[in-house]
Amino acid sequence: MRLGAVALLWLLPAMAAVSDIDANKTAGNPAAPVTIQVFSDFECPSCKVFHEQTLPLLQRDFVATGKVYLVYREFPLAMHAHSREAANYATAAARFGFYQTVADALFRDQVAWSATGKVWDTVASVLTLAQQKKVKATADDASVLGEIQRDVNAGHAIPVPSTPTLVVSRGVKSYPVSGTLNYEILRSLINDLSK
Amino acid sequence: MTSPSKALRAVTLLLRVALGAVFVYAAWTKLRTPWELFAMSIDSYQLLPLKAVELVARTLPWFELAVGLLLIAGFWLRSAATATALLLAVFFGLMVRAYAKGMEINCGCFGPGEIISWKTLLRDGSMLASALALTALSFFQRRKTASLI
Repeated sequence: MRLGAVALLWLLPAMAAVSDIDANKTAGNPAAPVTIQVFSDFECPSCKVFHEQTLPLLQRDFVATGKVYLVYREFPLAMHAHSREAANYATAAARFGFYQTVADALFRDQVAWSATGKVWDTVASVLTLAQQKKVKATADDASVLGEIQRDVNAGHAIPVPSTPTLVVSRGVKSYPVSGTLNYEILRSLINDLSK
Repeated sequence: MTSPSKALRAVTLLLRVALGAVFVYAAWTKLRTPWELFAMSIDSYQLLPLKAVELVARTLPWFELAVGLLLIAGFWLRSAATATALLLAVFFGLMVRAYAKGMEINCGCFGPGEIISWKTLLRDGSMLASALALTALSFFQRRKTASLI
């Protein structure tokens, strides 16, 4: 009984770190030793670099090999006029299993929609008509908006200093990592935590 | 009435203990987390190659700890104060450069999560001024002691 309570106390921070997540916005094995939460903004240039250059390496070396469980969190910054709209569409798309497709497109065309504000055009370009209809109808749903706000609140609680920020966790140990997110250093950190 | 030399000694004591405590705290925030977190902050300045980033990330916190403890203890005060001033001058210069270039990066001063801003510049600038004052005081007091002998 006492041992159970101690174990629960030990696990609580880790459970809290990855609770309230949308399973459709994750990648990898939930039982992986290391969990990485990615707090990102679709309109942030550094997030685009991370998504297109570092994330594929992370997925290849650690997610595909079962060492890392990846959780995507929305952290639209107020300074970006269209990032919350983008997050709405991406989160709505996640409900139907298209999160990665929409996220890839949003980062790919970031410069264009950021300048014109035509976020939907980018989202629609990678979905069928039926999928578009579903995503459009869900984007303003209270549950979608609430989910994004929960992510934002979680980010503020950490606190996330800039985007992208990765929260790398193993058990009770949890480290927010931001900055250039050099892959060599990130790989070393994950390997050290995995030991 | 307090004599000028007593007042100077009190200022010296205050400066060395305050700066020493700040350096010990700065070292502790880095040593309690994996070295890679500090390395990520150093790398954000985009100045050093990866090998040098790793070397600095692994050694600088220990150097900060040693300097901080020397300042608090008052051992080798002139050397410790000079090292503190030089270190802070380098940190401050790098931070000003990053701020001027519009780089929104972690300063790396007290662990991760503190973006360079005018506040961090003001804080580190004040610390640099204090360290320079301490260095000057430590040399001045040494000279005064020597002249008395």
